Amino acid sequence: MDYGKLILVGLLQAALIMLAAPLLDGISRRLRARIHSRRGGSIFQTYYDLFKLLKREETVPPQASWVFAATPYILVATLLLLAMIIPSITLMSPLGLVGDLFAVIYLMALVRFFFSLSGLDSGSTFAAAGSSREMMLAVLIEPAMVVVLLTLALLAGSTNLGSISVQVASGQISFLHPAFIIGLLAFLIATAVETGKLPFDLAEAEQELQEGPLTEYSGRGMALMKLALLMKQVIVVALFLALFLPFGGAVDITSGSLILGSIIFLGKLLVFYTLVALIENAVARYRITDVTVITSLSFGIALISFVFYLALS
Amino acid sequence: MVAEQLFIMSILLYAAGAGASLLLGKMDRHANYVAAITAFLAAVTGMAWAIPVLAGGAGFTLNFTGFIPFTQFVIRVDQLSAFMALVISLLTAATALYSLSYLEEYSGKGKGLLGFFMNIFIGSMILVVTVGDAFYFLIFWELMTLASFFLVSFEQEKKESTGAGLVYLIMAHVGTALIMLSFLLFVSKTGSFDFATFSEAPLSEGLKTTAFILAFLGFGAKAGIIPLHIWLPQAHPAAPSNISALMSGVMIKTAIYGIIRVGVDFLGATNYWWGVIVLLAGAVSAVLGVMYALAQHDLKRLLAFHSVENIGIILMGVGVGMLGAALEQPMLAVLGLMAGLYHLINHATFKGLLFLGAGSVLYRTHSKNMEKLGGLVKRMPFTAFAFLIGAAAISALPPLNGFVSEWYTYHSLFLAAKSGSWWVTLVASVVIVMLAITGALAAMCFVKAYGVTFAGAARSHHAETAREVPPTMVAGMFVLVVAIVILGVGAPWLVPAFTSVAASLLNQPAVPAAAGMIMYPGFLIQGTLSTPLMAILLVGLVTLPLLLVALGGGFGTGRRVDEAPWACGYAYNPRMGYTASSFAQPLRVIFRAIYRPQTHVKGPRYTSKSYFEGPVHYESHASSLWEDYLYKPLVAAVMRTGTYIQKLQAGSIHLYLLYIIIILVSFLLIATR
Repeated sequence: MDYGKLILVGLLQAALIMLAAPLLDGISRRLRARIHSRRGGSIFQTYYDLFKLLKREETVPPQASWVFAATPYILVATLLLLAMIIPSITLMSPLGLVGDLFAVIYLMALVRFFFSLSGLDSGSTFAAAGSSREMMLAVLIEPAMVVVLLTLALLAGSTNLGSISVQVASGQISFLHPAFIIGLLAFLIATAVETGKLPFDLAEAEQELQEGPLTEYSGRGMALMKLALLMKQVIVVALFLALFLPFGGAVDITSGSLILGSIIFLGKLLVFYTLVALIENAVARYRITDVTVITSLSFGIALISFVFYLALS
Repeated sequence: MVAEQLFIMSILLYAAGAGASLLLGKMDRHANYVAAITAFLAAVTGMAWAIPVLAGGAGFTLNFTGFIPFTQFVIRVDQLSAFMALVISLLTAATALYSLSYLEEYSGKGKGLLGFFMNIFIGSMILVVTVGDAFYFLIFWELMTLASFFLVSFEQEKKESTGAGLVYLIMAHVGTALIMLSFLLFVSKTGSFDFATFSEAPLSEGLKTTAFILAFLGFGAKAGIIPLHIWLPQAHPAAPSNISALMSGVMIKTAIYGIIRVGVDFLGATNYWWGVIVLLAGAVSAVLGVMYALAQHDLKRLLAFHSVENIGIILMGVGVGMLGAALEQPMLAVLGLMAGLYHLINHATFKGLLFLGAGSVLYRTHSKNMEKLGGLVKRMPFTAFAFLIGAAAISALPPLNGFVSEWYTYHSLFLAAKSGSWWVTLVASVVIVMLAITGALAAMCFVKAYGVTFAGAARSHHAETAREVPPTMVAGMFVLVVAIVILGVGAPWLVPAFTSVAASLLNQPAVPAAAGMIMYPGFLIQGTLSTPLMAILLVGLVTLPLLLVALGGGFGTGRRVDEAPWACGYAYNPRMGYTASSFAQPLRVIFRAIYRPQTHVKGPRYTSKSYFEGPVHYESHASSLWEDYLYKPLVAAVMRTGTYIQKLQAGSIHLYLLYIIIILVSFLLIATR
């Protein structure tokens, strides 16, 4: 295998995810407007917002330390690394050598850790409330995610994401395996919670917490934080796609199949975002203590999936 | 040859440090310097002999004349001993540096005595992990326990310290008694106290299990396995912080050493139940340990509970190792044990660092109550940075060391889940999920610990006027920061050494677990990890957002410090900042079955006037399940039995004579029968 080429593919993939994230957000904003019977802005509006923010002066509270200043960069860099690891336009993981499932979980934790810490570091009460919720949510949803990931890894015999993708796409792991289908359901809930969209928009709850940990950010810091959050959404969805719907990813590394893979990947994202936009306009936000109902449901379904694996193996 | 001499030199240095410190007792300052410097030198000497043994693989044996007729004083160093000695020496070196200034706090309180006990404590730990004889093992074990007991209750004027000391003393001795019983089982069959004969002891299956369970419980009491942990969150915070670091960082690891020595080395881990017991005890300790930690607002108590958690994670690895040995799957056995040992050294570095950091905060603010701290990052930047690195490492964030060992723990469990019958899959999977929950909770807890202590606004006068600690204390902490980074980023080059320790213990060939810059658990297809590449990529990728900002014109515009965080239009007050309790509040509500939170409100309430009249006192705390339902009934039962037995003691000589005669007669009857 040509590792050099794969790293290039990884970089390409990371760039694609970074560039697509604001566009997908723009599209979902437009969709929401349409559902509200409004005209809505351009689908490129999010890019305009980000670039405007980049140029603005940054204002920070006196309590903020270097953690507050460094967090946006740490988040974007970590998410770029994640984007390189998760197989999206290819079936193989472009950066499989660097990490597997467990590494992905802990890189996500790294993102969450600094995101949450930046909220406390700003000294703002709203930010801190968001921070507390962010970590809380992880505690609630992580068990379900791990059960599903473990079941899939056991089915595939490997924790390498690429290896799982290849086996699902080639039918070695049957789409009709009960553990797979039920696991898909549980992971779908987990994905919805992790993307932080309604009804799970708890940490950055705009109307309630003034965007949680983002409260005190402004200017370039805000631009990068927003970008990071958008990228995180795409990456969480990409992880779901890589594990459960990897079909259409490039098998070999030729420019033709890579372009095709990218287009299929973007298409899948678009479908996902459209569905999410529909849901977002139909529901209200959960209270943090009520989220346990959904997360325990997800955990329960995940457990059933695992039991099916045990029974059928 | 050299290793032996260095070993003796290092022990003599500890002894000399202890003696000199005691002699200089009156001259406080000198005693402290002498004690700390000798401990540092002894630790460096310790590393100088341990590293070659680890790298070269050849141990050594030292025979001393038998001072006591029925037993031999013998030092037997194998790879495991060298590994343990390295861990102890590494943390000692950092702590000794730190102690140079830290102990200024204890001026006029008998620093000579403190230095004496500190050196005895460390020296006896080294001897515990190297001695090759059960009798002397118990002597050094007891010496270690007593020295640490005196250190825990060093601050006599504090009720907290003496109380904690008492609980510690009781629990430690219950543990020692169980260990002694376990060793006696071996001795009764081999007729010798020599560890070398223990592995050939002709014990029946039942006796083997008994010996293992006794040792596991005995060592478990020292390690702080739930529910034997109750002394730990009391004793570790009560000791001076440099001692807390040593107790949490290495002393409880000597118990892990004991469990491995007895379970794997002596008994060969032949019964798969032992592995399962260790595995489940580890999982329960990990999850509950971190849950209790989250409810704390005393910084050192929080850290102590995290030791319970991390001992649990170490035991997960050890448990998989024992399971692998019993199932005769060498790869599983070696990987599991290696994961446990790796986490052991990692925990020593980051927990040592965190306790030293907490000590620095205590040194400058005289408070370990997080609610009264805050904003220290501006005033103690080096301490804050070191603490943050420790917090990231203990939360297993890549690419630091905690992540590497947890990654191997995950993979050894995954390998177990894949390779056995369905019940092994079930047990291993349950433990994997528990490890994941532990990870998420630990991250939350350390965001809280760092965020509430160091970030935000200062919430007390002491926190506001704090300043950075003296350079030697900073140096002590940074030694450990460097160790954390090396053990994390440099992992691919260190893993082979650790696998060889595990393999030598199991008499197995080394297992491939790293090649070049890549780590993998046995087989490449299982999954791979490369922390150096990860670190390089993370640093490299930071350039992209920087570039983005530069292109967007972000660096041209300024950065302005506004007067206060936004507070809904009200004037900002430091009391608005989040505290430890508020951060963990949602969790306390959701898991109230475990925390059983109790709130006490005193003052006028439920009237329209209550908002304006007089202060309202609000108090909320989590109660301990184990103390209420296990230890309190136990203590009550012992007390009750005591009162019954008291009735025998009527104070009348005639009655006592009657007892003696009754017992004599019954003995005679038994003897002549």
